[in-house]
This record gives sequence, C-alpha cells and structure tokens, in this order.
Amino acid sequence: MLEVSATANRQAASELGTSLKTSSGSTFGRRARLAFYNKSFKLICIACAVFVCIILFSILFLMGRTGILTFQHVSPAEFFFSTEWVPENEQYGGLVFIFGTFALTALTMLIAMPLSILIAVFLAEMTPGWLRTMLRPVLDLLVGIPSVVYGFLGMTLLIPLLRDVTGTTMGDGLLAAAIVLTIMVLPTISRISDDAITAVPKKYRDASYALGATRFHTIFRVVLPAAKSGMMYAGILGMARAIGETMAVVMVIGNTPQLADSLFKPTSVLTSNIVMQIANVPFDSTWNYALYLMGFLLLIISLVMIVLIRFIQRKGVRG
Amino acid sequence: MKMKWFKTLAFTTLALAVMATAIPVASAASKLSGKIVINGSSALLPLTLQAAKEFKKANPKVKISASAAGSITGPQSVRKGIADIGAVDWDASTDVPGFKKFEGQVAHKVAVIPFAAVVNKNVGVDNLTTKQLQDIFSGKVKNWKDVGGSDAAIVVVNRAFGSGTRVNFQIKALNGTDFMSKGDNYKEVKSSGDMKTAVETTPNAIGYIDLVYVTSKMKALKINDVAPTEANVINGKYKVWGYGYYMTKGQPTGAVKAFIQYVQSKEFQNGSLKKLKFIPISAMK
Repeated sequence: MLEVSATANRQAASELGTSLKTSSGSTFGRRARLAFYNKSFKLICIACAVFVCIILFSILFLMGRTGILTFQHVSPAEFFFSTEWVPENEQYGGLVFIFGTFALTALTMLIAMPLSILIAVFLAEMTPGWLRTMLRPVLDLLVGIPSVVYGFLGMTLLIPLLRDVTGTTMGDGLLAAAIVLTIMVLPTISRISDDAITAVPKKYRDASYALGATRFHTIFRVVLPAAKSGMMYAGILGMARAIGETMAVVMVIGNTPQLADSLFKPTSVLTSNIVMQIANVPFDSTWNYALYLMGFLLLIISLVMIVLIRFIQRKGVRG
Repeated sequence: MKMKWFKTLAFTTLALAVMATAIPVASAASKLSGKIVINGSSALLPLTLQAAKEFKKANPKVKISASAAGSITGPQSVRKGIADIGAVDWDASTDVPGFKKFEGQVAHKVAVIPFAAVVNKNVGVDNLTTKQLQDIFSGKVKNWKDVGGSDAAIVVVNRAFGSGTRVNFQIKALNGTDFMSKGDNYKEVKSSGDMKTAVETTPNAIGYIDLVYVTSKMKALKINDVAPTEANVINGKYKVWGYGYYMTKGQPTGAVKAFIQYVQSKEFQNGSLKKLKFIPISAMK
C-alpha cells in the first residue's frame, strides 16, 4: 500500500517538473495522472480477481489431492458404504457421516421450507406496510447472528427443553440439530422468497381476483407457482448453509459415529466429525486423509448447489 | 468519491491479507538461535504462556511463540521441525493407547495435572471403584441403580479420541480399558469447556475433566474411596493424574534448554505454576 502511493507521488512530482518546463503541461499532467490511476486501479482489480481464482483452485486441488490419498489404504466401497468409523482400528467407513449430512439437511429443509414460505407469504401479501418495513430488517439481522451463538443456545436451552418435552435421556441428535439449523436458515429462505413473491406482477393477482378466486386460491394457485424458481433459489441457498454449518451442529448432535435410526440418537455429520477430530489426528495418516476427503465431499456438494442456483436463476430470468 | 472509498477498501484488504499470510510464515520459519516455537496441548498453554512471559523478561533477546491445537500436534510438530518444543499431556516417547511412541524425542516433565471423574448434581452416587468406572465407560453398566444410585440411565460424556485428558483418564482411572464408541446415551465433546457444560446441564451424566475445571455445578467423584484433592495427589492416595511434558528432538540445546530448565526451576514451579493450579513436579517424589 505504501509502495504504491510512493510511486504515485514520485510520478506526480516528475510531472510537475515537465509541466513547468514545457509550460503547457497542466492539462497533460492531469490526464497522465488520471490515466496512471485508472491503469493501476484496473491492474489491482484484475490482480484481486486472479488471486481469488487461484485460491479457489488451490483449495480444490489440495483438498482433492490429499483426500484421494485415503484410497491408498481404504477401498472406495468401504469409505462410502461402511458404517464402521473406528480410525484407531483402521476402519474408515464414512457412510455414517454422509448419511448424517443428508438426513440432517433433509430434515432441516422439511421443517424450514413450509415455515419460511408461510413467513414470506405473510410478509409479501398480508402485512400492512409499516409492519413489513419493521420485520424485514429484523429478519436481515437474524442472518448475521454468529452460528456459535445458535449452537450455544441450542445446547443450553433447546436440549434441556427437548429432554423435558419428549422424556428422552439425552436430547442430542438429528432433531435438535435440525431445529437449530432451521432457526438459522429461516431468515435467509424467507427473505429471498419474500422478494420473489413481491416481484410477481400485480396483474397476475388482478386477473385471478377477476376470475372470482379467493385470496387463498390466488396465493397458492397463482402467486406461489409464479414465484417458484425464486423460492427454489432461496431453498438451495438455505440448504447450502445448512450443509456447511459446523459450530452450531457440533454442539447439539452428540458426535458419536453411529447411524442415526432415531431422531434422538447421538450421531455425527461430515462437518462436525472434521472439526472434532482434525486437531487430534497424526499428520500424514490415512485418518487425516479421510478427513480431507470428507472436506472435499462437502466442497463438491456445495459447488453442485451453486451451479444449481445459477441454473435456476437463469431459468427464472427467462421465464 | 465512491471510487476512492472503494480503492481505500481494496488497498486495506490487500494489506491485511498480506500481513495475515506473512505472520504465520515468519513464526514457522524457526531454528534460528534465540527463537523458541512451542505447539501442542491446550491444557498446558496457560503454563507455557506464563513461563514465556517471565523468561522473556529475563532474556529479552529470546523470542518465544507459543500456540496450542491438541496434545498430539505437539510431538508431531517437533518431528516435522515446525516447533522446538511440543507440549503434550502424556509421555510421547512411550506407546500409549491409540498413539505410537515418537522415536528420538526426549520428554521433559513440567507439571502434574490431576483429573477427576465428574457427574451431574442429580446423581446420588459419590464413590465408584475402578471396576465400576471401567464398566460404565465401556458401556457394560447402563443404569445408575447398578452402581448404587437411583433407577436412571447413565449418560456417558467422553472426550474425542486424541485428547490428552482422555489418554490419561484411560490409563490411570480405567487401567487401559477401552471406551465404548457408540450407544443411545453416549456422546463425545471437543474440549474441556464443552465437557464442563455437558456434565453440568445433562441429568445423569458422567464424564471426566482436569481437576482445575471442576465447578460447584458438578460433583467430583471419589475413586476407590479417595477424594480427588491436591493433597491426595501429593500423598500418593489418588492415582488419577498425569505429568504434562515438553517434547524435544533429542536433548535440547541453547535457548530451548534454558527455557525448559526455567520451567522446571523451583522458582517457577512453586510460584506461577502453583498459582495456575498445577502441582509442582517436585511434590511427587
């Protein structure tokens, strides 16, 4: 930073010299200076963009390369289809975590999607203007709460509550994690769905009412289908967040490598398993590689989702 | 105007990024005389930081950078040459359950760390034998009524594999018996802080923790009728404690040697180390 401004000063000083000598250079000096600023700014912008790309690709490359090393000692079949994760005894079955991640995400979306669509409908169609202007910033604020706060509240408030309500002994497990995640993704999904619903042209509604439809019919048969692609976009964005979420999940899921056959059985997902174990594994061990492979899987899943988002966005624009 | 603001932002971000990448690189490039890099156990970190502060006051030319990740990172960093000293909660020059010994490394005892088996306040049991502890943590006994408590399922809270506390508890309290690894009422936590919260807030829970972390919201159990107190550790009745170690590659030299000697000195052991609630190694003779 210092270096750049120093060069700029030197440049300016030398220009002053030229302009004094030729005694016509005032406009020329200014133009040269502007050109220099523009050029260097452009260069910096390009450098930043290249920098980001390099980082992205080196992360992908590093994770992939390290992860693949797992298969020197473990067969892909074992990693993807075995549920025995006992690294101490050389058993590296990752199915528990992969299943856990998908089950948790599915459960989260199952709870979050209807809730957030109802919130969005309420926000976009039913609220009086003053309440809407108040509620939207509140939802935006909710997005910014750090996930560790949600996790901590989940551990200290939600889990004891679940224990009392359901009578289970522990309370940790898929349901607790799904509820915490739902609260986390709810504002994201409902705000974007809200925008999508608001963007549906008023003439659709007018036409529907003119045909004699009720408000319920108009919303569920006309407005929501028209806003479908926007809501799917919101859902995938929320899903991506739910899949990658670590801190909140690790505090309420129980972290036990066993297949979750009930909602209250302590289990583990890809993210929580990585964060639990990465600090304690020997470098250059199959165990370490297996954790990298899990990270790579997460990366791939989120990349696929981002591609999906782009696809849906484009389709939405066309339609 | 808007562009200018953006430019400043871009510059600042760049500068920050450069700084952020430069710092770890600088500290990792060790092996210069007068520079000590310490990594490893988070349980020993407060002790290391305090010692480093005092040592730097006496030797202003020595630079010490200490950080912590987990016990096993200590000897690993030493083996890779990233760190000069690896702090670890067990003697990494010998085999322990789950971890092979690190060849060519020398262990230096620096502190005594007592551990306690703890239960939630609602548990009626005050004392467990070694056999009962083994049965509970291996999953054979699942109900408090089988060990003299009320009729309630036992919730076992364990530290994740690789934790120094776990290694010590397994060797000293369970005589090396394996832990359970699955079960409906079994969970693992990431750190001593999480263990504290889990045992405090989960009824019928049992876990284990460094003695210094025991709070009034949980109950530390007697093991074989001996209460976990500092006095009982020193007089040899309470067996569940371990040494904290500094591992070095071969015998240490120069600044590293001086620093380890300082940590082991009477002055530090009986002063700051005691204040941090560790027990001096000299007390164990």
